[in-house]
Amino acid sequence: MLNLYARFRGLAALAPSLPAAGALLSALLLLSSCATPPPADDPEAVQEFKEINDPLEPTNRTMFAVHEAVDQAVLQPVAEAYRALLPEPIRNGVRNMLGNLRTPVILTGDMLQGNLDRARKTLGRFMVNSTIGLGGVVDVSRDLGVHGHSEDTGQTLAVWGAGEGFYLFVPLLGPSNPRDLLGFGTDIVINPTTWIGQGQLLDAWNYTRLGLTVVDTREALLDPINAVRASSLDPYATLRSAYRQRRAFEIQNRDGPAGSVAPAGGAGFGQGVMEPR
Amino acid sequence: MAKSFSSITLERRSLLLAGAFLATVKGAKAQQMDIARASAFVNAAGQELTTAINDTRLSQSQRREKVANILRTAIDIEGTGRFILGRYGRQASPAEMQEYLGLFDEIILHNLSARFGEYRGVKFSLGRTQQRTEEDAMVSTVIERPNSPSFVLDWRVADINGQPKVVDVIAEGTSLRLTTRSEYAAVIQRNGGRVASLLEAMRGQIAQLAAREGG
Repeated sequence: MLNLYARFRGLAALAPSLPAAGALLSALLLLSSCATPPPADDPEAVQEFKEINDPLEPTNRTMFAVHEAVDQAVLQPVAEAYRALLPEPIRNGVRNMLGNLRTPVILTGDMLQGNLDRARKTLGRFMVNSTIGLGGVVDVSRDLGVHGHSEDTGQTLAVWGAGEGFYLFVPLLGPSNPRDLLGFGTDIVINPTTWIGQGQLLDAWNYTRLGLTVVDTREALLDPINAVRASSLDPYATLRSAYRQRRAFEIQNRDGPAGSVAPAGGAGFGQGVMEPR
Repeated sequence: MAKSFSSITLERRSLLLAGAFLATVKGAKAQQMDIARASAFVNAAGQELTTAINDTRLSQSQRREKVANILRTAIDIEGTGRFILGRYGRQASPAEMQEYLGLFDEIILHNLSARFGEYRGVKFSLGRTQQRTEEDAMVSTVIERPNSPSFVLDWRVADINGQPKVVDVIAEGTSLRLTTRSEYAAVIQRNGGRVASLLEAMRGQIAQLAAREGG
């Protein structure tokens, strides 16, 4: 669920305290228990350990359990209520608008990855959707044949050659790794509303946007996560694998011809938030 | 529709190219997957599946059963099961392996037919086919359903004893066999490296599924 939060500014309140958060995270990592590496005389097991690349697995699993408890108590019921109470056209409008608001992050990613064609599309979509599309609520560009796509700084770092580091599970954000976490922080900084203006109205708007993004994302993931919970013998391991595969797919910009990743986000749960119908 | 999916000329040209390529190397490689054959196979299986899924005369359980039967002939269940068990396959006793393959067959068909069975009103369109390795080809399809965003489903097809068979399905970049391999490996590793512990968990899962459906 990482990338989805990557776009707001509600979290931007955290931006000044990012170094502190970093220090806290490092402390946590130092204190956390580590997975036991297999004996060196078992090359297959060593190979597998490297592929799984989850040296903090015991801590990550604890974090996953915390996340699941919070999710089942709060996030999931709220997302279900959102789906039940609001008709689909309104939810689609919300998703479109949130995607449009991520334009600065997507455009920066397109440009830093040297993808001028995609940058041009992102910019064109923003201009059309923000005006004719009533502030991004209606995805007019898509109807004109220009589908949206998603980018984030974690993907840019990957395109630049940064490896993922190792697996991390962060409660509320979901599956991640140091590279994507650094990208997440950078995305907050890239967002202009982190820096412009102040006042209660802006704060209220930023928290509304944060809340809507969380709810919209969780709603998009209701079915995939229910499916993982129902069918996996080890949901933690399933999500770890799915997250990596999904990120590789996003990094390669392999957006599908019909249902490309909604500009509102590739959710890191191994399932993207899709473009609304 | 995107360019790669609508461009029939491109498709035809790639088929011709593939044909020419195959004509030159034919016989050199055993069990090579011909991409035209892979794509025709996925098309036929897809048609059969959508017909079953959209057949309003069937009850939900009849529909699932029909879907499971189609999948059983289309998927290389044994090969996929062995791939997923990976290195633990060598640790398993013949009896364990046999039980594992039986349980895997049941779980995979149940999960897939439960998922596909819900896709009422589903339509699919065939996309591009690519040679992945010498042994397999990837056939891309776009799945469209009412009230849901459409998505890309890729089918990895290999030649198994002279027949094209599905060896993996990949939804928007996430491969079913890779994800399941991680899942099963984690269960074994967390239970002292014993294959028996995986079998136990799989038996438990089947019992749960049966209870859920019975109740």
